[in-house]
Amino acid sequence: MSIETNLNVEQQGTGPQAWEPKILVFACNWCTYAGADLAGLSRLQYPPNIRILRVPCSGRVNPQFVIRAFQKGLDGVLVAGCHPGDCHYSTGNYFTRRRYLLTKRLLEYMGIDPQRFQVRWISGSEGPKFQQVVTQLVEEIKAMGPNRKMRDQE
Amino acid sequence: MNEITQKMRETARGLLNSGQVALVLGWEKGYPWYKSAPAFIDRGEDVDRLVFDEFCHNNLSKYLLDLVAVEGRIALFVKGCDSRGINRLIQDNQVKREQLYIIGIPCPGLKDPDDAAGKKQGDEIKDAAKCQDCRYPNPVVYDLLLGEKVPVAKRSSETQALIERLEKMKPDERYEFWAEQFSRCLRCYACRNICPACNCRECVFDRATPEWLGKANNLIENQFMHLTRAIHVAGRCIECGECERACPVNIPLMALNRKLINDIEELFGEEPAGLDPEKKTPLGRFELDDPEKFM
Amino acid sequence: MLAIDKKRLNELLRNMSRDFRVYAPYLENGTGKFAPYREDRELYLEMNTLLPPKDIFFPQTEKMYRFRTAGSALEIEEIEDKKEKQVIFGIRSCDAFSIDCLDKVFLSRGYEDAFYKNKRENTLLVGLACTAAGDTCFCRSMGLNPQEAVGVDLQVLDLGEEWGFEARTAAGEGLLARYRDLLRETDAAPIPTQEFKLKVDVEGVPEKLSRMFDHPMWEEISRKCLGCALCTYLCPTCHCFDVSGKVKGEEGYRFRCWDSCMFSEYTRMAGGHNPRPTKKERVRNRFMHKLCYFVERYGQLLCTGCGRCLAKCPVNMDITAVIRKIKEAEVE
Repeated sequence: MSIETNLNVEQQGTGPQAWEPKILVFACNWCTYAGADLAGLSRLQYPPNIRILRVPCSGRVNPQFVIRAFQKGLDGVLVAGCHPGDCHYSTGNYFTRRRYLLTKRLLEYMGIDPQRFQVRWISGSEGPKFQQVVTQLVEEIKAMGPNRKMRDQE
Repeated sequence: MNEITQKMRETARGLLNSGQVALVLGWEKGYPWYKSAPAFIDRGEDVDRLVFDEFCHNNLSKYLLDLVAVEGRIALFVKGCDSRGINRLIQDNQVKREQLYIIGIPCPGLKDPDDAAGKKQGDEIKDAAKCQDCRYPNPVVYDLLLGEKVPVAKRSSETQALIERLEKMKPDERYEFWAEQFSRCLRCYACRNICPACNCRECVFDRATPEWLGKANNLIENQFMHLTRAIHVAGRCIECGECERACPVNIPLMALNRKLINDIEELFGEEPAGLDPEKKTPLGRFELDDPEKFM
Repeated sequence: MLAIDKKRLNELLRNMSRDFRVYAPYLENGTGKFAPYREDRELYLEMNTLLPPKDIFFPQTEKMYRFRTAGSALEIEEIEDKKEKQVIFGIRSCDAFSIDCLDKVFLSRGYEDAFYKNKRENTLLVGLACTAAGDTCFCRSMGLNPQEAVGVDLQVLDLGEEWGFEARTAAGEGLLARYRDLLRETDAAPIPTQEFKLKVDVEGVPEKLSRMFDHPMWEEISRKCLGCALCTYLCPTCHCFDVSGKVKGEEGYRFRCWDSCMFSEYTRMAGGHNPRPTKKERVRNRFMHKLCYFVERYGQLLCTGCGRCLAKCPVNMDITAVIRKIKEAEVE
């Protein structure tokens, strides 16, 4: 079996040792990162399970980053950028759209749960949306459990 | 001797002797009898090495990347799939159309050398797996066509059957299937090196700084390599099937590449790669109304 | 000689697997390879395996040691190599000769590779005679005898209905004694090896090659090469490796892994200089190593005539054709 059955994580429980999902968020500098910042400024609470990686544009995110993220131990990945038409670099997120539609299909074909990998458009003024997306994503992944596939345990 | 071989030699002889081209890329017989290999002919008197038979698998368009420094024009013989490789390279600005003299050969489909290995010449041999899905047996670009165009043959596709079987599996089963395939990978990179869509001057897997791909051979690194390569060539794969043929441990790479081709055609309605050198690749362009089911 | 009914070979191996870790040839997904003995799997003895047995002594990826930092302290932990007694069953003459070549590289000339040595000195080799000659086999032309594997402890011969055993070393005698109750005396004769389809004359090639470094033929030969590592990884004698590491936070390990002289960055040095910048230099190096340099250094060819490279090369690079070209080449 190549699906990890003895990960170094505690599955059940609510105590301090209970497993918490780790989610990587690729946030585009001009929209999503600003939106996340706004969420912070507005004191909107969201689960602390995310790690934000700021990129100049969602189009900068290479599918291999997503694959490596899962391999390195992340339970979920979110790529978020400007709404189509609002990209700071005019066209970056159009490429993101195509690329990630396909990447999602590829991950699914590999047997990875497609819900673990999400793409969203979050603009700079959408603080509440950022909070909402993250909260929902963390809940979904908590329910799915830790990612046991493509885990680098070597 | 078959008619196409005869014409190949005549054409090559004429081109070389007249000085029209500096080099002719074709195929010659290899060893054993069920192997044909790429041939590089630069003198008129050597053209009798050229053959076209049911084992001429190699996609010669890949070699154009090595030949940019050649002075003068290069002639090459191409089957349907190979010609799409040329368009691919033109699309990527890796080769200039004017430098090429393309001689097209309508391809009736090739045979599987592994099946021939246990047999004698003249025996019935299985169709090559890569030819089963062929949609473009006739060259899509050429300066000269040797022979009559052939119809698209209807063959049962082992690859499509595998894709369908995989799509029906549960995710865990699918994961185990691919994990089993990738754990056998030797990381020889024959698939990458033979692929005309893989034409980066320095491949991400060869770079030590940053080291995207570690040197160890284990499931994780192999998964990373194959998934990354699949997505990097997505939309640019010309369906020649050489990757799968080259693989020494029989990893069903076309079940991976073809799935992405199917998805691209379904999602974006894009036409297959390498048909029109002017068009941009599906992932290299966009439409304002592209689907965004998940956003 | 002593022999066992072919139908009972599995029984012998099963018994052997209780005393040793036994490797035998199997087909996995259509690929022949040496794998640990498993009772429920059928042995693959018709032809030689695709993957050579070198990875039993020289794995493709081998962890060497682990390290951990704790503050400013560094802990290094050697990876314990279990000294397990092993038997490789069914090694052909070509591959047995390759082990001999690897022994010369890893164990001779004043340096002993501990990782290789540990596995090698705990392993017995049981050779298997070939009666069929594959389309791409040419071991005879390289001076090998398909019925007699060099350096093995026990030689197995094909007697038709039975496998015959002949001990070649004291350890081999020991093996026969241990499983004597499964064997019986026979006077059946070994089936001779088929006529080889592929032959090549290597007479004088190593010496001639030493004068052919700048010969124009390398340009022509190397053109179709793809520069992948298929030949080197399937080759039973290829032994180039790289050393790398993996770090995860405060700990990691160092490992060695197969490398290939056919890769473009194989000889790239810090600073960027690459003395083998194009395919021509790399292809030349490969054939010179197999047919000339190894002979100069160790007195034997590094090509065993197993034919795997020729069988699987996607562009049909043919070492026998190269040898023929060398023989025909005009050299001062």
